[in-house]
Amino acid sequence: MMRKLRFLLALWLGKCARLALRVLKRNATYFPGVVALKICPDFLGQVGKPENIIAVTGTNGKTTVSNLIADVLTDRGHKVLSNRLGSNVAAGIATTLLSGSSLSGKARYKTAVLEIDERSSKRIYPYLKPKLLVITNLFRDSIMRNAHPEYIASFIEQAVPRETKLVLNADDLISSRIAPENERVYFAVDRMDTDVVECVNLINDLQICPICSGELVYDYRRYHHIGRARCRDCDFKSPEPDYLGTDVDTAAMTMTVTDKQGGRAVYPLLSDSVFNIYNVVTVAAALHEFGLSHEEIAGSLRRTKIVETRYNARQAGNVRVVMQMSKDKNALAGSRAFDYISQLPGEKEIILMMNCMEDQKKWSENTTWLYDCDFEFLAREGITRIVCTGPRAKDYYLRLLIAGVPEEKLRCTMSELDAPDLLAYNPGESVCLFYGTDALDLVYKVQAKIIRCAEEAAAK
Amino acid sequence: MTIEILFPEVCNLYGDLMNVEYLRRAVPEAEVVKTSLKARPRFLDGDVSLVYISSMTERAQLLARDALMPHLDALKAKIEDGMPVLATGNAMELFIREIVDEGGGATPMLGLFDLVARRAMERRYNGLYLGKFEDMDIVGFKSQFSHAFGGEDVPALFETVRGAGRNPEEKREGIRCKNFMATYVLGPLLILNPPFARYMLRLIGAGDRPPAFEKAAMDAYELRLAEFKDAKRGFTYG
Ligand SMILES: [Zn+2]
Repeated sequence: MMRKLRFLLALWLGKCARLALRVLKRNATYFPGVVALKICPDFLGQVGKPENIIAVTGTNGKTTVSNLIADVLTDRGHKVLSNRLGSNVAAGIATTLLSGSSLSGKARYKTAVLEIDERSSKRIYPYLKPKLLVITNLFRDSIMRNAHPEYIASFIEQAVPRETKLVLNADDLISSRIAPENERVYFAVDRMDTDVVECVNLINDLQICPICSGELVYDYRRYHHIGRARCRDCDFKSPEPDYLGTDVDTAAMTMTVTDKQGGRAVYPLLSDSVFNIYNVVTVAAALHEFGLSHEEIAGSLRRTKIVETRYNARQAGNVRVVMQMSKDKNALAGSRAFDYISQLPGEKEIILMMNCMEDQKKWSENTTWLYDCDFEFLAREGITRIVCTGPRAKDYYLRLLIAGVPEEKLRCTMSELDAPDLLAYNPGESVCLFYGTDALDLVYKVQAKIIRCAEEAAAK
Repeated sequence: MTIEILFPEVCNLYGDLMNVEYLRRAVPEAEVVKTSLKARPRFLDGDVSLVYISSMTERAQLLARDALMPHLDALKAKIEDGMPVLATGNAMELFIREIVDEGGGATPMLGLFDLVARRAMERRYNGLYLGKFEDMDIVGFKSQFSHAFGGEDVPALFETVRGAGRNPEEKREGIRCKNFMATYVLGPLLILNPPFARYMLRLIGAGDRPPAFEKAAMDAYELRLAEFKDAKRGFTYG
């Protein structure tokens, strides 16, 4: 009885907090859950949960995949509860569930699509018991929070309920081996023209056979440890996919997805990035397992039409100004962004300001990630100048020298607003600004200055 | 000159391996040998100028320990003989007595040095490091689940000025025995500390050669040193 009362108090106060924050136009996706969990630590256990929960987790793509799954289900007429735009830790999930329940705590939705932070697994899955858990991939992430992907895999592994069916990436031998006793299906993307065999990245987190420690040999590799591999010394190999993406056509922006029962459909691609190609096959696998047909999923995806732009670009003077976000202190995000931008057609000048400004205020950024990140891609032809800026400019400068960028291409200034002055603005080129996420005001100021400088250069 | 990297297929976290690449840039003629878990370590059969081993996962610590265990006596003799070894991050724990998990059992390690690491997988220690090696200032980063205790008679590699030593209450950091050097400081230690890189180059027989890109490295080092000496700055994260 006390337990029930405490739960109801938590629910109502959580709802009040949510209402108040919404009236004040504040972020109402986290704090109400904090209140509810504070009053009733067992809140996630007691609150009404939709019958069908699809949970989505993983290092990359979890937001896009959960949004797409929710969009398709909504398009098919389902009423979907989701934490879109909200927090993906326990308090965020509590907020989402309290917003989706009645005053007595009963679920008002039959279906929920929830993006879940990998590290919060233990505080969420035991209560949630999702019908499907989609794991997009696991990569090396922030050293301080995430250590290494095996560590994150252990978080999910220890928490995932036995009855949850897993939707896993067959091309990722780290995440696809989680909870081997659970029912599971695998998705994969077949060989592509851009594949390699040897790893060209510094980060390669699965090089040995998990059974016998023998060397893993790749039939094809997308990047890092993603691809199809087998052990040289024993019969261990990547699992066979139940859903396989083939015939990726980045001109027509389509891909065929075939399932093990022979069902297939042509799916729309949302962008030509490999991450987004995976996102589509992931969504196809998850929703087909949920019970939708390929035609329904592909049809809805075509209608949702979220075409993702890889970057934001605009013309200024005689140059194109390209804004490329790259999550701070994240080597993998940096590697992907450097790889992509360095291969854009034409000549490029670059400003690097991916410093973590928050860390700089409090202590000093842990820069070990610079030596996990493929700065070597910035030594490619076509990049004519790189300006290092911000509090860690000198670290970037040294890293680029070690990466093989000639000294004459490098400039260095601690002041971000001086960085645009150090570019040449050669007609026809792209000027790319790489920026972290925690000092956007400053980023916009630098962007404005680049545009001004480019226009002035053109006027001369 | 030969630099041997032990088990790079599993010992490769946090940019540590760039330490060897940085040395090689200063000594382009150096041969870098990568020894896998299933291969016989090169240092057993001939002179190696430096054996390097990087940060790794907790599972990899067991694999690396098992790969070295059959050669324990030879390894001991080589260290006694003055073979240079550099171990960064939790590679140090390969050489100590054991790792004890919070609420769990003890994992025996190679036992060359009488230290015990206490590990809590739910609590990661993240901090900056400022210490002394002989008369040099050492700057670096720590990010780890464990700290080492005991080892009253085991000489330290660094004397801590700010941050955690072998554990947060301890000024002594790492292990030094002849030319065997191990430290919890991880990542590109030699790149962050060009004076220490210069010392290493001399130690491995490169003479008085400067580390690669020494001026740029010194610029970055001096800025970081000033930040780490700034008493107003925090030293442990989160
Ligand atoms: Zn094997």
